[in-house]
Amino acid sequence: MIEGIHLTPIGDGNVLLEPGEGLDPSNPEAMVAPVLDFLQHNEANRLVYDLKSVRLIDEVYYAWLTKLNATCRIANVEMVTVNMQPAAAYALSLTLNQTPPFTCALNIHHLR
Amino acid sequence: MAKETPQDKSTNQILIEQLMLNVGKISAIIEKQGQSIFGHKNLLSNNEINDYSLEFLELLTMLLHAGEKVDRRGAEYKALRQFFANFSQQIQVRGGDMDEFVRYVHFLQSTFLENLETDKSVSFEKSREILLLLGMIFNDIILEVFHIYLESKEKTIQAQQEELKQTSTPITEIWDGVLTLPIIGSLDSSRTMIVMEKLLSRIESDRARVVVIDVTGVMAIDSQVSHHLIQMIRATGLMGATAILTGIRPEIARALTSLNIDLSSVTTRSKLSEGLKEAFRQLSIEVSRPGK
Repeated sequence: MIEGIHLTPIGDGNVLLEPGEGLDPSNPEAMVAPVLDFLQHNEANRLVYDLKSVRLIDEVYYAWLTKLNATCRIANVEMVTVNMQPAAAYALSLTLNQTPPFTCALNIHHLR
Repeated sequence: MAKETPQDKSTNQILIEQLMLNVGKISAIIEKQGQSIFGHKNLLSNNEINDYSLEFLELLTMLLHAGEKVDRRGAEYKALRQFFANFSQQIQVRGGDMDEFVRYVHFLQSTFLENLETDKSVSFEKSREILLLLGMIFNDIILEVFHIYLESKEKTIQAQQEELKQTSTPITEIWDGVLTLPIIGSLDSSRTMIVMEKLLSRIESDRARVVVIDVTGVMAIDSQVSHHLIQMIRATGLMGATAILTGIRPEIARALTSLNIDLSSVTTRSKLSEGLKEAFRQLSIEVSRPGK
């Protein structure tokens, strides 16, 4: 059990990550290891990060996402974000200088 | 007790007396002129013109009664200005011109002056004072009306600009999961915000996977516009859709190169039709003629 994170294996090597209220993106170090442990334990090849409940992605939250993605890549797991909210995408696009290192999909049904 | 001569009376008193003595004549002239200015276009009915004329004379008398010196901050002065503000707004709402209204206000002033000329007992000095007083009142009225007119025009222009912004960027679902966004004109920050907001909402609601952004209608591009385009493409990507940029004319391409804008990560096609083909290719859709 990782505080503020709910992980569910959804088949075909996919694991769904749903962030909750208790997630603290300012402390990624404390969360990446248990997430990776879960992924490896379930032999996952893709982490699907559901952003449906995330209203705003600021620099701190974006740093957490990139940190998690970098860790996943080391373990040969692809990270895909889904359900990014229009307002969050708009705000994030204003601050980004480059394309994010992780894949973005509209929703879970559109995973390629 | 000696009889008070016009020279002993104040400017206000002389004007009030003029008004009292000739109220019938003055109001008849004002009404007649009002009908000739506002009546022929049916801007005001005869009853309205008569009511306005009487109200004006009443308010002017109240103002002259209020004190020897006209107090611009006084209630009577404010009431007179408000009267003309409402009057001019009504004329504007009914499609009247500002020129007509100003002409009417000038006419009101000249009616008083003409009436004054007939009174030989008023000295040159007093006539001058009356002229100055009337000039001040009527100039203030014209200025007030002019401000209202400008404010109303500005509001209309703003509303039209807003409407134009909303309608100038039609986002169309041209195929299941394919949106087209033709951009015409320039792309400033406020327009980008509106376009992006609409586009991202449509991506979410239509579950769009590809967005074809057509810039054939963009006449000029600068670093700000190209930055906004890249932002739009990036936001589309964050939502999980792919953006295809089409219609980049040679001069736009040259401008982008000279601005050092890197579009290498963006899928581009020459025409909207080519962009559509690319969208179909990405979605593995095959379009063929029947019988082939």
